[in-house]
Amino acid sequence: MLWYVIRRLLLIIPTLLGLTVIVFAIARLLPGDPVGLAAGPNATPEVIASVAAEFGLDKPIPVQYWNYLTGLLQGDWGVSLFSRRPVIDDLAEFVPATLELVIAALLIAVIVGIPLGLLAAIRRDGIFDYLTRTVSLGAIAMPRFFLGLLLQLAFAMALNWLPLSGRFPLIEFPPDRITGFYTVDAILIGDWHALGLALQHLALPALALSLSPLATILRMMRASTIEVLQQDYILTERALGIPPWIILFKYTLRNAVSATLTVIGLYVSWLLGGTVLVETIFDWPGIGLYSTQAILGQDFMPVIGVTLVIAMIYLVTSVIVDILQAVLNPKVRLQ
Amino acid sequence: MILTRRALLGTAAASAVLAHLAPAALAQGSKVMVLASAVDIPNFDPHVATGYAPAMLFRNVYDPLVRVSGNPPEIQPALASSWTLSDDGLIYTFTLDPDAVFHDGSPVTADDVVWSIERILKLQRGNAWMIEGIVEPGATRALDEHTVEFTLTTPYAPFLQVMIWMFIVNKDAVEPNLADDDGQAWLMTNIAGSGPFTMGRYQTGNLYQLTRAENDWHAGGGNLDGAIWKITRETSTQRLMVARGEAHMAMDLSAEDMKALEGTEGVDLIYETEYRTFSIKMNTQDGPLQDVNLRRAISYAYDYDAMLAAAGPAELMTGPLPTGILGFDPELEVPRRDMEKAREYLAKSEFAEGGFTLTARYAAGYENMRRWALILLESLKELNITLDIQPTAWPDIVSSVATPETAPDFHFIFQTANYADPDNIAYAAYHSSRNGTWQNPTYGNPEVDTLIEQARGEIDAEARAEIYGEFQRAVVADAPDLFGVLEKRKLALRDNVQNFVFTPVAANAVELLPLSLD
Repeated sequence: MLWYVIRRLLLIIPTLLGLTVIVFAIARLLPGDPVGLAAGPNATPEVIASVAAEFGLDKPIPVQYWNYLTGLLQGDWGVSLFSRRPVIDDLAEFVPATLELVIAALLIAVIVGIPLGLLAAIRRDGIFDYLTRTVSLGAIAMPRFFLGLLLQLAFAMALNWLPLSGRFPLIEFPPDRITGFYTVDAILIGDWHALGLALQHLALPALALSLSPLATILRMMRASTIEVLQQDYILTERALGIPPWIILFKYTLRNAVSATLTVIGLYVSWLLGGTVLVETIFDWPGIGLYSTQAILGQDFMPVIGVTLVIAMIYLVTSVIVDILQAVLNPKVRLQ
Repeated sequence: MILTRRALLGTAAASAVLAHLAPAALAQGSKVMVLASAVDIPNFDPHVATGYAPAMLFRNVYDPLVRVSGNPPEIQPALASSWTLSDDGLIYTFTLDPDAVFHDGSPVTADDVVWSIERILKLQRGNAWMIEGIVEPGATRALDEHTVEFTLTTPYAPFLQVMIWMFIVNKDAVEPNLADDDGQAWLMTNIAGSGPFTMGRYQTGNLYQLTRAENDWHAGGGNLDGAIWKITRETSTQRLMVARGEAHMAMDLSAEDMKALEGTEGVDLIYETEYRTFSIKMNTQDGPLQDVNLRRAISYAYDYDAMLAAAGPAELMTGPLPTGILGFDPELEVPRRDMEKAREYLAKSEFAEGGFTLTARYAAGYENMRRWALILLESLKELNITLDIQPTAWPDIVSSVATPETAPDFHFIFQTANYADPDNIAYAAYHSSRNGTWQNPTYGNPEVDTLIEQARGEIDAEARAEIYGEFQRAVVADAPDLFGVLEKRKLALRDNVQNFVFTPVAANAVELLPLSLD
């Protein structure tokens, strides 16, 4: 088990290395003139050349790649052409914000989706099952930004229960940075007022982001539970007179969840890469907005940086999912 | 069953908790103005960063020698309390305000001015292009502690107008942090200015809080304790924030947002013409549009009324210069839709029968540009010319106009005046030395070049206005552009903000000093 984990973690390295080659090549070989753009509309050719030299972009692309790679190993993720800020500083600022949002959305999806899926399965073809089926199809189909706007209009404008946007009230200071997750930091320093504010701001964007994974998890959970419930051993257990709730929680849930777990793992990366619309609507200062702006400006260092971070989180998540699979299902052996 | 109850109870409990926590409104009593803007301020170095959000920061935490305000914009004292110009138009002498101090309490001296100007010229970033070739390194001298002299290489009429963007930094504060990049790394995140405000806390990509400087030396001004520049990318969110009173000012509203805000209690809507032109540039060096008669034919065929109708709040341009700027001629005769004349010119061209295709490129994502391109397509149909419309990513447009051969036949651009002087637009958009740039890919006429250069060097305002009159007629005769529209700047302001005066140059780079909150 331990060896398996170590081996899997080590395998991340060549994967990331390959990824840097591909992303770097795409970013540098695309048509366009990022240096000219960064130098500004009125830059003379000499100024453009000096900007290129400043960023080392006058060197051949393999040399640029080598410099980037050696920098990467020393914690230097390059510098944004536009802001001239180190990419690593920006990532440290924006990645926790996005992760907090994604994790909150997934928590909602899992906590609500799994029980509802289970319920839809045991009440198969009942009113509740039809209801969740209709709602989840709608939830998967509805664009997240539209849902976000509706939530804003309802809960912020009409009911005035929750803030419109942002991560924290403008005039208040967020909890001191420990992890960069406002909710976690507030708990760590025991500032319950800040925790309340952070949760209020997190609620709407997390809800908007959670609906589509929630619906998927619900449907997956329903399908796998139905499959498990039709197994012979469940029939045997019923015949033996084991109470239904023991059958459900002890024998069905564990088996049904393992299939859903894979979907949850996949959703981590899907959500990480797809937060931009929700971040825009709710003014959530995360990597979605950051990378979109970088892409539009052909500012490739941030683009590469964001890609690597998402890839890293995705790879680590899939290792965790595999381990959890083994824990949940003794039939799975890690070696 | 058990499960249902639990799930339901859980959901109910969660929503009860959320409902209990009412959202925090802006604190009453503190005079902190909130400005919602889509544009970030990633770099605080006044000699490096450009764009309207950094410009807002610099105008409030740094001081230039002179500043601009009002409508029409007027030059007013800032660090310099007075200045003189020699008769030959070459030597400017500024006298610094003896009260002026930096945020650390040290006085602003002529040495700081010289040091700042030399740094601008050395770095060649940001707004350095505005004085390039006009002020050479070594041409700025400190005569005494409070007097500084600029010797220009050539008389340059817009000099004071560009000086509003040359911010003075505290030499003694930056020098210990020079490192090997002239202090760029340090000034990126530190303020060494003398402005009425300084940077409080900030989070890149989210918000920047300006607080009143401890040693604020500026006389007069409003009651603001500070301001928050809140990055709000979505304009509809900006609109809701102003409507709810969470923001005092929204900077990037669309025409639809403004319409939705009409009648909202406590919100004033501002529509003002600014020096931001939109024109469709034609490729005068490659392809059919080299033919001046064809360009004239198209200029008469274009449906300007439809363009104006599609633009939202705007006005049509009369020639190459924005309305109201020095030398602008409201009587100038410019082409308006007249199909008879269009056919007449088409007949004179080498392409009397039409029957060919032209390309138009605009920055993808600009809805109004898309509409104007479709209007062009309709208009050209009547001359039997087809149009291939290519929405293109802006960086690709910039690189494609580098040569006439790769440039499209029609090139759509907005151009903002960086300083309140016709030279800005005239030089960037019509001087042949700027060919290959996005502001002027192909157009050049030696006669027009001479006029632009003459106007730059002429100090007398009336004589300048006359030269610009001639310039406008010469450009219109060449028909290099379809002169488009001036879109109005659209701002929403809470009605408790006092003393806001719109300035058509740097309209969004709001100066906070005069403002008050009720």
